[in-house]
Amino acid sequence: MSSKFPDWNNLAGFGEKMLDQALGHVGSLAGRMLEGNVRLGVTGLRRAGKTVFVTSLIDNLIRGGRLPFMDVVASNRFLAARLRSSPDRSAPRFAYEKYLANLTATPPHWPAATTGVAQLRMALRYVPVSSMRRSIQPISTINLDVIDYPGEWLMDLPMLNQSFAEWSSLTLELIEHQPRRQIGARWLHWLSTVSADQTADETTAKEGAAHYTEYLHACRRSQANLSLVQPGRFLEPGELAGAPVLTFCPLPAPASGSAPAGSLWALMSGRFEDYKTNVVRKFFLEHFARLDRQIVLVDVLGMLNAGPAALHDMRMALTACLEAFRHGRGGWLSKLTGGQIDKVLFAATKADHIAASQHGNLKNLLDMLVSEARNAIRFEGATVDTMALAAVKCTETVTTEHQGRKLACIQGTPLGRQKPTVLFPGSIPDGPDLFPLDIAQPYRFMDFEPPAGVGRDGRGLPNIRLDQALNFLLGDRLT
Amino acid sequence: MSDRNHSAPVWQAPVELEPLRPAPDGGGGNRPGPDEFAGPAGAEKVRDISRWNWAVPAFFGGVFALVLVVLAFDASDLLSRAFASGYAFGLGVSGLLALVVFAALWLALDEAISIRRLRRIDALRAEAERLVIADGHGSAGHFADAVSGFYRDRSDLAPAIESLHTSVNDAHNDREVIALIDRQVLAPIDQSAYNSVLRASRDTAVATALSPSAALDVVIVLWRNLKLVREVASLYGARPGRFGSWRLMRRMLANLAVAGVAEGLSHVAVEALGGSIAAAISTKLGQGMVNGLLTARVGVATMVLCRPVAFTPANRPSLGRVRTELLSVPKDVL
Repeated sequence: MSSKFPDWNNLAGFGEKMLDQALGHVGSLAGRMLEGNVRLGVTGLRRAGKTVFVTSLIDNLIRGGRLPFMDVVASNRFLAARLRSSPDRSAPRFAYEKYLANLTATPPHWPAATTGVAQLRMALRYVPVSSMRRSIQPISTINLDVIDYPGEWLMDLPMLNQSFAEWSSLTLELIEHQPRRQIGARWLHWLSTVSADQTADETTAKEGAAHYTEYLHACRRSQANLSLVQPGRFLEPGELAGAPVLTFCPLPAPASGSAPAGSLWALMSGRFEDYKTNVVRKFFLEHFARLDRQIVLVDVLGMLNAGPAALHDMRMALTACLEAFRHGRGGWLSKLTGGQIDKVLFAATKADHIAASQHGNLKNLLDMLVSEARNAIRFEGATVDTMALAAVKCTETVTTEHQGRKLACIQGTPLGRQKPTVLFPGSIPDGPDLFPLDIAQPYRFMDFEPPAGVGRDGRGLPNIRLDQALNFLLGDRLT
Repeated sequence: MSDRNHSAPVWQAPVELEPLRPAPDGGGGNRPGPDEFAGPAGAEKVRDISRWNWAVPAFFGGVFALVLVVLAFDASDLLSRAFASGYAFGLGVSGLLALVVFAALWLALDEAISIRRLRRIDALRAEAERLVIADGHGSAGHFADAVSGFYRDRSDLAPAIESLHTSVNDAHNDREVIALIDRQVLAPIDQSAYNSVLRASRDTAVATALSPSAALDVVIVLWRNLKLVREVASLYGARPGRFGSWRLMRRMLANLAVAGVAEGLSHVAVEALGGSIAAAISTKLGQGMVNGLLTARVGVATMVLCRPVAFTPANRPSLGRVRTELLSVPKDVL
């Protein structure tokens, strides 16, 4: 009989159990000290390439053939990596095999957009550098935890510090400007028919939420590719589809300053608070609160395609959601318990969509875009770097001649086509003047299909600077 | 930022180029071979600011020519006198003379080849530095070919060069390619060179600590340093020859001077301490350590001079490990 009261007839057994438990705790603590866990936060807005990045990261660590810039690999100390079951059994496992199969299929295709959270743990085995550690433990292990989630959910994090009134006024202020004003016309019209003070009823709430969700979807679909769309679960509800916690929307503040109980404002405000506590805070605590390292993936090229509004929007969105994380440099205690992010890498993804000679400019542009967030993180004491990378390299850089000029072009299969082609993707200016007024749409960077037969050579998915990113993020933990 | 050389001056709209036609230089078929590689292409030569004086070369050239003439006269004199005293004797002497001349030519050729190899290493290093400073893209492929061509006949480096070629791709910029050469091809050489330095400094330390006389010290240091320089240089593919480079020689001469002086000092010290055995032993040991450290310095200097890519602050060989290694010498000797 197992109850919290010991079985008095079997005291010895009880003692043994206690001892077992205690030893188990000590053992796991020692294991933590010796094994070390690294929680890597892969942060990125929608379509930044989180899923493909995680897939390529896992594949490259497992195969280990394309990581020459990882010190642990270059010095032949890296033994191998393998997948382990995650200690958190509640979240679904990251379907690495499925995504890899997508990429290596004939014809290859990109994984579909992520709709829910998934996580995976990898164990990395290596030989430590210091001879003292080697004498205690000839082979060390660290566990690398990565999670994947819809980028939309990231946009919920700034809401944690806002009240319903604050959030409403910010959202309503945002919709004052084009192109949102046009996109949200229907919702704005609905808003003009209701007042915050009116008596709450479920139909009105549902109506409002439906109009607002439609507006968010339109923002996401729009030409301008807007990033700042809150709340994220309205777009990707995950397991919450149709739950009452998702039926609210921003409201203009009641004229009298406060609304009576039972009013529409009170109902929406209550649901907003519910959403914050039960959805956002839960997600944050489970997955983001104890990160050690963070990589922020930014689809700079996509934003350039979409225009200045998108770029501005993305900048605001990034700065806002990075504030939620705890950056800084902790001592040995925080290393043991985890808790502060001490290294952050900003990465411009899809660097293979431009010629390699442009990577320097892409990195400079990213530097410029994230300068505020980067300075804030640096101020907290964490180390920050920026990089232009591609998780899966789909193109080759070639030099061709066009109208008497030599152009650095790329060769690859554009999305939706069957045959590879050579194209000049355009160039990135190296100054702050990104959108010259005399050219209507200066950027048309194309997406590419994964190359046929990718990863067949068994060395890991081809990538650009994934190894340098990993060395920056994990290198000091693999010594 | 605006002075980057790869910013396009003219706006070029994105365009798709059909059909597929890479430019002729994209394929890499006509890259210059390792022997065609001729130093830093765009680097301006540093102008010699010292005033050129015609009298200096004229003086040394004249002296050299005169010495040659004197030698030729002496040789013909010698030959005629040898033939005068007997035909067989004359033949023998002329054979000896031919041997000397031939050997001298052979030595000169050998030296010329080794100097040429050192020059090529210098050129490679200058080119690497230029590429790193320019921070461009697409020109380091030639450099990688030049380095792998330089180590073409080294079978022990073949796997490293093979892995270099598999890991470099078109997305790497020049700095990254050079960093890859550094860590994949040169790092293993550094490791074994550093091990020879460690061995040599231990040898010198132990031997000079045990040797009874200053003259013997000097001989040991000279021999071991020469051997070390040759070992390290041949690891990097350079052949310093009998004279090597003057910088190395200067360092070695400084070492020899210290070996002599240390001996003199040790006598003074021992006498001042009353000449006890312990004092004598400890000064001898101290002297050995100094010689060991100096040998290590020569070795590290050789590594710096013979490396086709300059060391970065991150991988510069340090004397730290040599020091700890040398501190264990007293235990071994006593």
